[in-house]
Amino acid sequence: MPDGLSNPNAPEPRSSNGTDGSTNMDDQALLSAIQSGGQDAMSTFFDRYSKMVYSVALRVLHDSSEAQDVMQEIFIQVWRNPRAYDAARGSLAGWLVVVARNRAIDQLRRRKPADPVELFTLPSSMNLAQEAERSLLLEKIRKAMDGLPAEQRTAIELAFFEGLSHSEIAEKTGDPLGTVKTRIRLALMAIRKERT
Amino acid sequence: MSNGQHIEQEDLALYSMQALAPAESAAVRAHLDTCATCRSVLADMLADVSLIAMTVPQQELPEGARQRFAATMAKTQQLAGTASKAAPKAVPVAGRPPIRHKHKHPSALGWFEWAITAAALLVACYLGYHDFELQRELDANREVIAQLSVQAARAQDLQRLMDALSSPQARQVTLTETRGTPQPVGHATYLPKSGALIFVASNLRPLVQSKTYELWLIPVGGKAPIPAGLFRPDAKGSAAVVLPPLPEGVDAKAFGVTVEAAQGASTPTLPIVMSGQ
Repeated sequence: MPDGLSNPNAPEPRSSNGTDGSTNMDDQALLSAIQSGGQDAMSTFFDRYSKMVYSVALRVLHDSSEAQDVMQEIFIQVWRNPRAYDAARGSLAGWLVVVARNRAIDQLRRRKPADPVELFTLPSSMNLAQEAERSLLLEKIRKAMDGLPAEQRTAIELAFFEGLSHSEIAEKTGDPLGTVKTRIRLALMAIRKERT
Repeated sequence: MSNGQHIEQEDLALYSMQALAPAESAAVRAHLDTCATCRSVLADMLADVSLIAMTVPQQELPEGARQRFAATMAKTQQLAGTASKAAPKAVPVAGRPPIRHKHKHPSALGWFEWAITAAALLVACYLGYHDFELQRELDANREVIAQLSVQAARAQDLQRLMDALSSPQARQVTLTETRGTPQPVGHATYLPKSGALIFVASNLRPLVQSKTYELWLIPVGGKAPIPAGLFRPDAKGSAAVVLPPLPEGVDAKAFGVTVEAAQGASTPTLPIVMSGQ
């Protein structure tokens, strides 16, 4: 049996660069193509965001296999129902990482997904479609996180990457509940300062 | 929680990270349904939260991840209405009279049409029943496949266990308490290639109900400790952790044990009560 390379009737091998020209599409055009059933567009979408989603899930779960499961579930969900994300809701990258974090926390805690996270909205000022703009902003955010007082950083990391509730954080750190809440709010304000 | 009209910003910040207790979360959700101001504030909080997530250093995907996704995508149908296009409606062309179909004689031809329709209905009923039977058979096969998958997974675990216990490349590490007597002692057998780990301990001190021991794999290269299982001692002070979910290919510099809350933690809480390398 001749192999695919020698058989003139064999189908074209699927290009990882998108035979439908999807590689250079912006996010909205990509989602439209996915809505039309474009598997190449979905592959491009996966290539564009899978590392980011996987990395967030891995940071929470510390388990490659579980992080992969979370990542696959999210992208298959986008494939099944691309309408679940609406560009009017803001940054697609921002939406994806929050979904990834929430699903990973759910997995960590072995509980059923809580809120319908697909329905949340990010402000339109958060559209980070341009890679350079995103890189610069993320560098500023990393510096802001590194510059946080230790107790604020601990509170944010316990809440965000371990999924602890405010009372669990208070118990773990031995701090009053009100103090924990204030520290988290102050940490988020420091981050907000860098993006506005 | 609310200052009369709106939710406190601190609670919205916690809500954005799902860090409120369930009852508090439900109260915030109910308020958000009716308050555009708080929804806007929450959107800003979520933007901040998303940036925290995006600062996580990006890791390479494991080998084969893209191919697995492509294979799953090829087998997954999109929801109805996603890829289908609506059939265009027929629009009469202006200026032309509508086409009228000739009135058919109701006798012989009408009877024939009814016969065809009845036959089509009978075929549809048969196909529907046949489809129902096929679906039942498919469901039964799915169950068998699921059972076989569970058995295959168990066989794989047993093989990993045997490899870890017998392989000359498996690392043997003994852990002892760093201070005090009597001496709790632990022994870890770890095979980095497969991530297989067996840990047994004895003379462990008892813990209160709300606490647990947690085992940690400390990788070489200064990377963050990896949770390697929770365990509580039995009445004799013994415990074991067998094949916890660990990533493959991680070289271990050391192992450690800490005391954590009952549900465990993803970062160790000092002090380390047992360690070994």
